[in-house]
Parts: sequence; structure tokens; C-alpha cells
Amino acid sequence: MRYAYNIPPMGIFKKAFISGTFLFISGIVIARPISWSGGSTFMYKSNFMYTSYYYHFSPTYKYSVGFEIIDDKHFKDEYINLRSTILLDRKNTKESQRNLYLTGAISTKTEDNFQYGIHGDWETRRIFTSFAYINKHTDTKDFTENEFQLGFAPYVGEYNDLHTWMMFKTKRDTINNDWQTYPFIKFFKGDFLIELGTKDSHWDIHYMIRF
Amino acid sequence: MYKNIFLFMTVQLSLLSHVQANDMQDHNSHNHSIGHVHMDVDGSKSKIDPDKYKNFIKGLSAGQVAIIDVKGMVCDFCARGIEKTFYDDKEVKKVSVDLGIGKVLVAYSKLKKIDVDEIKNIFLINGQTATKVIINQL
Repeated sequence: MRYAYNIPPMGIFKKAFISGTFLFISGIVIARPISWSGGSTFMYKSNFMYTSYYYHFSPTYKYSVGFEIIDDKHFKDEYINLRSTILLDRKNTKESQRNLYLTGAISTKTEDNFQYGIHGDWETRRIFTSFAYINKHTDTKDFTENEFQLGFAPYVGEYNDLHTWMMFKTKRDTINNDWQTYPFIKFFKGDFLIELGTKDSHWDIHYMIRF
Repeated sequence: MYKNIFLFMTVQLSLLSHVQANDMQDHNSHNHSIGHVHMDVDGSKSKIDPDKYKNFIKGLSAGQVAIIDVKGMVCDFCARGIEKTFYDDKEVKKVSVDLGIGKVLVAYSKLKKIDVDEIKNIFLINGQTATKVIINQL
């Protein structure tokens, strides 16, 4: 016996409440900054500017909150950020998913340390693109980070396979004021993801586990 | 610093309550339209690979299989939460995700009274969209 249930498209996410009022409190840029409802994520990220350890919890798939321990190599500083990310918009199709996030953080260091920005991505099983625009404010300097990523999967893996992505990242911050472009490779399998890239002898490492 | 933390916590709580209210609204707004049921006798719309399906039901002597069409399930990470959430239900015996055709197979025990709203909500809370559910009795 077989039954079929047609489900109408989901309602449009009412995002009017995410206004400029909240702009200043939301987080930073990392792929998949929100997990499934009730899911947790731990991330480790290290590059020539900083090393960070970030844990976040997603009460819903539209929102995550967490904290990040930062070892700031540029400013020779250590501090903790309280971070939040909001899913502003998501479009699901059979072949793709598109996301737009509002992200931000405040530092436990001083009132003058905070950051905010937007982050978006579009992904199919073959192609991944993303952008980010983050404003960072510190007690000594304010600056902006821009980042774009483009990647493709050399093969399309099935569920539970090892997935591999060949990626290019280009990024700029207004401190160094030059664009840096470099390739990196992304692997993920199950709940684990790792990204590795290098530019001018600096390693860019990103590790993530979801649970 | 404490002022910042207090402000952060206040805004987080406000956001959480607002987002949850929004989720409830999304969910409730479709309740009346989902009750529409029709037969899909030959299952041709499901386009499940027959061998994969046979392999999936192998060893399942009795029960029910839900074949769910999903939008937005484009990567392994996207589907992790779906699998975990289904396995929280003790009546779920097996889950199979097919990223290639955007379908999820869920095998339930024969005791389970399958609720399409419940299935839809599992995808909703994981950020994907379930567009169709076909239920096969084994």
C-alpha cells in the first residue's frame, strides 16, 4: 500500500525583525555558522592574523550563539568574543542552497571591542561560492575584512563518503590593505571538516566538528 | 564590559523567543493543507533506484517506509541533523540519505503512526524543505 502526501512550499521567513537594531551584535564568517536545531559545533581556526577556538550552539536552524577564544597574533592580545549568527534568508532548491547570515560579536575585553558583518553562500553538490564582509572594532584600531571563496568538487560523493573540495579564497583587510588569493583544500566526512591552505609560508587551517 | 555582556544576553534571549515564535508560525501555517492524501500506486514519481530500495528494505520483515523528497539537501553536513533527529525516534529502524536525488528513506516499525507534519518538521528544524512524502507498507 502506498500513500503520497504533497507538502506545499514553506512560508517565507519573516525577517523583518532582524533590523539594524541587532546589526551590531552579530558574529563573524565561517562556513555553516549555524547547525541544526539543538546542534553544537566546535571550530578551530588558525591563520597569520589569529588563532581561535569557537564553540556555538544552535537553538534553532536560524540562529546560533557561542563564544570564541582568540589569540590575536597581529595585536599580540588574547580575549574572548561572545558571538551570534542569524540566518537572514535561505533558499532551498532540489539542486542548491543559498544562505545569507548576519553575524557579530562583542568582546569581553572592553566596550570598544566588537564586530559585525554579513556572510552569504550558495552551494550545489559541485560548486561552492561565498562572500563575507566584516567590520572589526578594537580599542586601538578599526578595520574591515572582505573575503570571497569559490570552490568545486572534483567528484560528487555519496552520503557518508569522504567529500573533497578544491577552493580558492581571496581576502583583504584594511590593515594590510592588499588582496591575498590562495588555494586551499577542504575535506569532510561525517561530522568532521578540515580546511588547509597556505600563502607566503603562512598556513590557514580550519577544523570543525558538529555534534 | 559587564554592560556589553548584559546587553548581549538580553538580545540573545529576545532573538531566541522571536525565532521560536517564527518557527511555530511556519509550522502551523501549513497544518491544514497537509492532510490532503492521495495514492501514488506505482511510485514512479519517487525515482528511487530499485536496487537501492531493495537493499534498504532488506532485513525489514514488516513495517513502513517513508520516501521523502527534500529541497536544500546539497551536502553531507546538511543531512547530518536529519539522520540524527530521525534516530531519536525509537520506532525508526533505518534511515538512508540519497544526496544525488534529494531523497531520504525512513523505515519505521509497523506500530508507528506516521505523521507527515512530524516528518516535515524534522526537515524544517534542520533547515531543509520536505516537499513530498510517500509511505510504503512492507
